[in-house]
Amino acid sequence: MQTNVVVLDNGGGLIKAGLGGERDPSTIIPNCLYRPLSSKKWLHPSPTSSDDPTDLTSAAVRRPIDRGYLINPDLQRDIWAHLFSSLLHITPAQSSLLLTEPLFAIPSIQRATDELVFEDFNFSALYVADSPSLVHLYEASRRPTGIVSKAQCSVVVDCGFSFTHAAPVFQNFTINYAAKRIDLGGKALTNFLKELVSYRSVNVMDETFLMDDVKEKLCFVSLDVPRDLRIAKKYGKDNLFRCTYVLPDGVEHTKGFVKDPAEAQRYLTLTDGDFPAQVGTNKDLDQLQVTEKREDRKRVDLTKNEFELSNERFLVPEMIFHPADLGMNQAGLAECIVRAVNSCHPHLHPVLYESIILTGGSTLFPRFAERIERELRPLVPDCYRVNITSQEDPILGVWRGGSLLASSPDFEAMCVTKAEYEELGSARCRRRFFH
Amino acid sequence: MEEDTSSPIRRVSSRTRKVASKMAAALASSDNRAQAALARLEALENDNAGMEMQETNEDDEASLDDDDQVYMQKKMSKSMKRKTRQAKALENARKAPRTFIELLHEANLESLPPHVPSYLKAAVGPPSSTSRRHFCTVCGSAANYTCIRCGIRFCSCRCQNIHNDTRCLKFVA
Repeated sequence: MQTNVVVLDNGGGLIKAGLGGERDPSTIIPNCLYRPLSSKKWLHPSPTSSDDPTDLTSAAVRRPIDRGYLINPDLQRDIWAHLFSSLLHITPAQSSLLLTEPLFAIPSIQRATDELVFEDFNFSALYVADSPSLVHLYEASRRPTGIVSKAQCSVVVDCGFSFTHAAPVFQNFTINYAAKRIDLGGKALTNFLKELVSYRSVNVMDETFLMDDVKEKLCFVSLDVPRDLRIAKKYGKDNLFRCTYVLPDGVEHTKGFVKDPAEAQRYLTLTDGDFPAQVGTNKDLDQLQVTEKREDRKRVDLTKNEFELSNERFLVPEMIFHPADLGMNQAGLAECIVRAVNSCHPHLHPVLYESIILTGGSTLFPRFAERIERELRPLVPDCYRVNITSQEDPILGVWRGGSLLASSPDFEAMCVTKAEYEELGSARCRRRFFH
Repeated sequence: MEEDTSSPIRRVSSRTRKVASKMAAALASSDNRAQAALARLEALENDNAGMEMQETNEDDEASLDDDDQVYMQKKMSKSMKRKTRQAKALENARKAPRTFIELLHEANLESLPPHVPSYLKAAVGPPSSTSRRHFCTVCGSAANYTCIRCGIRFCSCRCQNIHNDTRCLKFVA
């Protein structure tokens, strides 16, 4: 009778959905409805993998999730209905659901979620998982001989769309009293970048999707902020960070793009030492590539609808490491990890520091792991090793863990069935999930 | 001797009173600044500014543009007959999604016993060092100067001029 398990990682930015047991989710869609300027209706965004040219210019966005938590069940119902019927092609009544929920969801939100799952969609069973334990499960199964699976504990640093959590996991259970949260995620970073670019060059305050793309393609984490600021002040070729992003014009390009990808990659030549000496080799490389392109680059910006970025590229991700710079009264990511570990039993500290797992879309910034390691090392006692693992695909990490859990033989026993929900109600069913 | 010194001190104190009135004004303005800073942090979680307003506007337009305007009006009047304005407003208020902050207030997490982990206790808390780096709001490099009118940071004369021309007092006043 029991057929399939739908695994749904319901993130604030992206929904990752698919069937349990598979390696990758079959669909990834933005968790929102959007309304382009040309339309009066709210539309469902197409999956991120397809590249049909939907016009997202100045689109207004409605998201069912605010600060990581589901606050608009009606909107979520619309999105899920579209997802289940036209993308996943499943019938909820004959499947069970593994749903991720952020840590510390308040009871009213949990109740709304349960109502959505059982009363609106009639799923036959539900299991609610939290993302750190799923990531831990996945990493432990991937490396059966690694320390994560041997010690059965890890610190999962989930830097997602709405917020950042550092949560220790012990024997597949998230230690909830030790989890620490920074209220900064990819959404705040995109908005910050929007603000900077809008003030300094072009008004892009309405271009959420465009700026997401800019952030993903051009932002990186600086390893030495004062040095990089000095380099960013230079003119011409010496400024390794300056690069140009071309806005879509709606005729030739429906999507924005980086004008000269080689130029955008130049920061990678910066090594740990001081100022780079090998700028000359770069110049040669540029000259070899295209000569007419350089003249192109010097033409007036205003007619071409493009903008330049230099220090914004690393000052934006910098905020995760120093939220105080924004005026937030919160500690940075390294300190967040240390506090999460310190809330655990001292016997766990050495092994926790040795198994830090990075997940979530915002960890995709180049050099993110390196920077955390550098900031963490001085804060961690000398005798402990610090080992940071980046997931190979941080956006899908949680979903893969869910898929693994859904295919395990015990899964059915862990679920709450629809009959139980109708008998006991939301609050008592929730006790089964221990969080 | 002591009486002599006391009188200038009194004069000094009168001067500090003058400063104090200025200080009071400065405090008021810094309160403004704090509010502005909070508002800017809030804005970082915005989805798309002014979206709701647009929506109502466009809905009006849609109903006017439509060919079946008469039909729409009929429909409207029908529904109006059934529901009083108050009931409708109540229903709208119930339907409108509440923000997470409102839900959080409603959940009353402060009343939980101290050992129960909750959303509020999971916040990472203030940083151990209070030092805050300042970046020039105009160009982004390290900012050593503060605007005397609105408190925004800048790094050089050039950036100060740009700041004064473009958005001095924009967030505060």
